[in-house]
Amino acid sequence: MEEGNEMSQEYEIPEGLHYTKEHEWAKSLEDDTVLVGVTDYAQKQLHEIVYVELPEIGREVKSSDSIGAVESVKAVSDIFSPVAGTVIEVNETLIDSPELINEDPYKRGWIVRIKPKDLKADLAKLLDPEAYRRHLVEQSH
Amino acid sequence: MGLKRSHLYEYHKEHGKIVEFAGFEMPVWFEGIIPEHNAVRNSVGLFDVSHMGRTIAEGKDVEKYVNYIITNDVSALEPMSGLYTVMCNSKGGIVDDLTLYKLDNERVLIVYNASNREKDFNWFKNLLEGFDISISDVSDDIAMIAIQGPKAEKTLQEIATANLKDLPRFKIAESKILGYDSLIARTGYTGEDGFEVFILDTPLKNPIKAIEVWNMLLDVGAEYGIKACGLGARDSLRLEAGLSLYGNDIDEEINPFEAKLRWVVKLKKASNFVGKDALLKISFEGVKKTRVGITLEERGIPRHGYEIWDQGKIGVITSGGYSPTLDRGIALGYVPLEYDKIGTPVKIKIRDKFVKGKICKSHPFYDESEYGWKREMK
Repeated sequence: MEEGNEMSQEYEIPEGLHYTKEHEWAKSLEDDTVLVGVTDYAQKQLHEIVYVELPEIGREVKSSDSIGAVESVKAVSDIFSPVAGTVIEVNETLIDSPELINEDPYKRGWIVRIKPKDLKADLAKLLDPEAYRRHLVEQSH
Repeated sequence: MGLKRSHLYEYHKEHGKIVEFAGFEMPVWFEGIIPEHNAVRNSVGLFDVSHMGRTIAEGKDVEKYVNYIITNDVSALEPMSGLYTVMCNSKGGIVDDLTLYKLDNERVLIVYNASNREKDFNWFKNLLEGFDISISDVSDDIAMIAIQGPKAEKTLQEIATANLKDLPRFKIAESKILGYDSLIARTGYTGEDGFEVFILDTPLKNPIKAIEVWNMLLDVGAEYGIKACGLGARDSLRLEAGLSLYGNDIDEEINPFEAKLRWVVKLKKASNFVGKDALLKISFEGVKKTRVGITLEERGIPRHGYEIWDQGKIGVITSGGYSPTLDRGIALGYVPLEYDKIGTPVKIKIRDKFVKGKICKSHPFYDESEYGWKREMK
């Protein structure tokens, strides 16, 4: 358990974001849209991200739908949407600079912006920072 | 059953990201796959390959025995020379691919894949009958380190007594390294010039010689920017060089003709060998599918198991990934013979999308005037 706690300290888990067990984060913005990316833990596990597959703008997604993929040299990881809604913007700088996800997973490494359908209900299902930290600890056992 | 560890595990645990590979705890990277990969293509990198299998066959029938189990021919091989080969089952399927070295007229060192250590040794054992030889598995008694890249010779020469400049490819020499009895072969699995070093009499339980040599090579290579490399870079380097990986690109369901390994099958050698009848028949009848290289023309990364399409599915990717040297997705896979022509367009099914690619030169994928052991040293 101690080792696990130590482990979860290695990863940045900012306050104010909502997390999935599959290591996506969601940030609710003032204009009622939601920014989505993958967590510090996810980018560290993948290491050296070399390709990001982005969804088409306008796509309707349900929560937990695969909306793309992040690929490192060694592995592929699906991106699951934390919320239901419509994809209204994708981070096109990731096409040429996928390493932004490694460098800055919570800011410049954002992946999609979604106009949510039922934000309240979806956010209620997500983990707060403390619950996500516990999830990382449990997962390491 | 617990995972095995190599002679250099303590180093890996401290400096690397450990993963399970072929029953071993091995480093997938130290700093990262891309910087390690580039160090080998441009300068020099160091690999622990002590997890591989090593067997010494010894006795007066050793040449006859080895020629019976492999498809290539050792009879013309001079002492202290090596060759690459496969061994096949009675159906012509590939049991493993091997590098072997004739140390003298009565001793051969066989090096094989970590994933096949038990299978191969049993295979060797089951074919002993009628030959006056003995075999011993020395994998845990000899440490093995690969040093690869255009600066490998300069780095290794700093601590090795053998004259490496005069050691041609696929030759092996006795040497002292830091005073320890060793063998140095000019071979590797990266496409680059380089060496595979066998540090003799180094038991797994007391690996101090291996650790000293490893650390000293990192020290003397520092001026060239040497990097310790993990299995990730080993895989991306061999893929760019177009070298097959057993278990991915070749296995017992694939024969050497399909795998474009006809050059290691000597159907005309004097001795009989396991799989000869089947291989003669396959050679006469021809094959239906063959191994090709594919480069992607669009963004995307092809991976093991993805489908290759034309109008419909025509084959499967057996190895694929991102090529740091070419900065694009590359792959090996099997397709019907009619597609085996450089430039032929194909599509790779990546998740639910089709990504355009084409059949390309794949042995190696890179330009040999720029990269690999054949380039002129600048």
